[in-house]
Amino acid sequence: MPVVSVENLQKRFKDHLVIKGVTFTLGDQRCTALLGPNGAGKTTIIRMLSGLLKPSSGTINFRDAQKGGDFRRLIGYLPQHPVFYEWMTGREFLEYAGELAGLTKKEARERTEELLELLGLREAAKKRISKYSGGMRQRLGIAQALIHRPPLLLLDEPVSALDPIGRREILELLKELKKQSAVLFSTHILNDAEEVSDEILFLHEGEIVEAGTMDELRQKYRQAKIDIVLAGKMDIFLSGVAGGEFIETRLIDGNQATFFVTDVEEAKQAFLQVIVAHRLPLIKFEISKTSLEDVFMKVVRS
Amino acid sequence: MNLWFVLFKKECLEMVRNFKVIWVPLTFLFLGAIDPLTAYYMPKIVDALGGLPEGTVIEIPLPSPGESLLMSVGQFDTLGVLIIALMLMGTVAGERKSGVAEMVLVKPVPVGFYISAKWAAALILVWLSYFAGMLASWYYTGILFGWIPFGEFLACFFIYGLWLTFVMTMTIFYSSLLKSPGLAGFLSIATAVVLGFVSSGFSHWIKWSPALLKTYAGEYLLKSALPDATVPALLVTAGAIIALLIFSSAVFRKKELAG
Amino acid sequence: MDALLEHLPLIVPLVIVQLLLMIIAVIDLIRIEKTNGPKWVWALVVVLVNLIGPILYFIFGRRND
Repeated sequence: MPVVSVENLQKRFKDHLVIKGVTFTLGDQRCTALLGPNGAGKTTIIRMLSGLLKPSSGTINFRDAQKGGDFRRLIGYLPQHPVFYEWMTGREFLEYAGELAGLTKKEARERTEELLELLGLREAAKKRISKYSGGMRQRLGIAQALIHRPPLLLLDEPVSALDPIGRREILELLKELKKQSAVLFSTHILNDAEEVSDEILFLHEGEIVEAGTMDELRQKYRQAKIDIVLAGKMDIFLSGVAGGEFIETRLIDGNQATFFVTDVEEAKQAFLQVIVAHRLPLIKFEISKTSLEDVFMKVVRS
Repeated sequence: MNLWFVLFKKECLEMVRNFKVIWVPLTFLFLGAIDPLTAYYMPKIVDALGGLPEGTVIEIPLPSPGESLLMSVGQFDTLGVLIIALMLMGTVAGERKSGVAEMVLVKPVPVGFYISAKWAAALILVWLSYFAGMLASWYYTGILFGWIPFGEFLACFFIYGLWLTFVMTMTIFYSSLLKSPGLAGFLSIATAVVLGFVSSGFSHWIKWSPALLKTYAGEYLLKSALPDATVPALLVTAGAIIALLIFSSAVFRKKELAG
Repeated sequence: MDALLEHLPLIVPLVIVQLLLMIIAVIDLIRIEKTNGPKWVWALVVVLVNLIGPILYFIFGRRND
């Protein structure tokens, strides 16, 4: 049974439907990436899961929720821009967060030391948070989300604000974290999603346009692709190849055409024959394979 | 309950770190002591400066002990209210504006705890400061104009203190309702002022108004007898404080913290 | 003036309170990262404006997050 099941979740701000009914589940020991361009609704979904926003309709079910219990106990949440009490030290804030999450003073203290170590904040633990750099704040934010070992981690853009080294560290950490919790993290960068996630939810304008495990998606979108550029007479070419059954999709833009095909060999032969037969002014003929990147771009552009 | 104390302790620590625990009591202390002192010295200063034409007779009568203490209450009623409102206006609104409220309330923390812990910490600070001020005024009045029986002083202290508590709770209420600390502060002060005007203007009809507690404390001090409406006014004020506190939590719970 | 001397024990505490407020404000101003508005302006306000200066600083000058 998944840690969380989300069904037909919608969010309306005034008259604007921002989340248009999304359905997904988050499983144990899985890292799920919520991938989409800025403004797709990633933050809104995460905030609804955290309880900070109320869904306009739809349901969110937590597997471990007890009747009458507080589901917030089950969640560790990192907002996109974590904010703290600036007058506290890093250590004080973590202990405070731990006690708020229901740990005893002693537990909170021990867990704080562990996390300070894990996130490389030991040196800075005694310093006031007002003196922390952006990267340190991000790590402190992650630490406070982990403090009570929640079964579900919601991380909103956990690596976007970090430099390449910090980014690497946090991505490695995510791989570790999913051994204990279900992790949902949002990002607008495909590479980050590809790197650590088991599953990807492609979000675009409030809808999940594609979802699946990395392997599934790779398989699905590993199509052959042929790019053709002519100096003119594209219409002749197009009518010449119109009957080809091997063509799955085509994107045509003036004298440029992109074909996604099922059988590369057959397509290649057919295309070249048409070009030679009509003496078409060929400029470019390229065979390649699609990647997730293409899918991402296709989703975002269309 | 343990969780409530965690929140309460944080509020106290914050008051220590931002020096509120020192500057607010000191300020009230000063406000309390300054009026008896100036009332006593004003005639002497005018005399000593002697810049007045020969033959001018200025009679500045010395106040009675009760009047002296009431002058200090007057200070608390203006500057004291101002300081309380300004110092507390951001207590919830500021945390919401900065986003730190979101960090706290995404943890399993009941909203009622969050608000009431803030209220309790503010209550202690306000009463501590107000007591320091009143005590200073009582002491200076005693030395300069004659002693007010401590029991009468205490009664006056508690009656008027409830009004300050009302103002304080109202500020926390506005602070929970609004995202802008400035607006919360302004509305608390404005409400206190309007309530004061309306209550004294229509004091025949609304004898139980919280804003009349100052008047009743004064009457008691000068006439040594509690006005009849004091008890109803005290009860109404206490009820209003509890209601405001409940409203604060209810209103805040309904809010969507994000966005 | 005799009266003034006689009541010196009453006046001195108030002067001390004022000084104390000023000193605390100055210490805080030195230690704090950022103020609302330029620091030096607040320093002038705290030192030059009796009583009200430090209070204004604590209410409006400090950034509390």
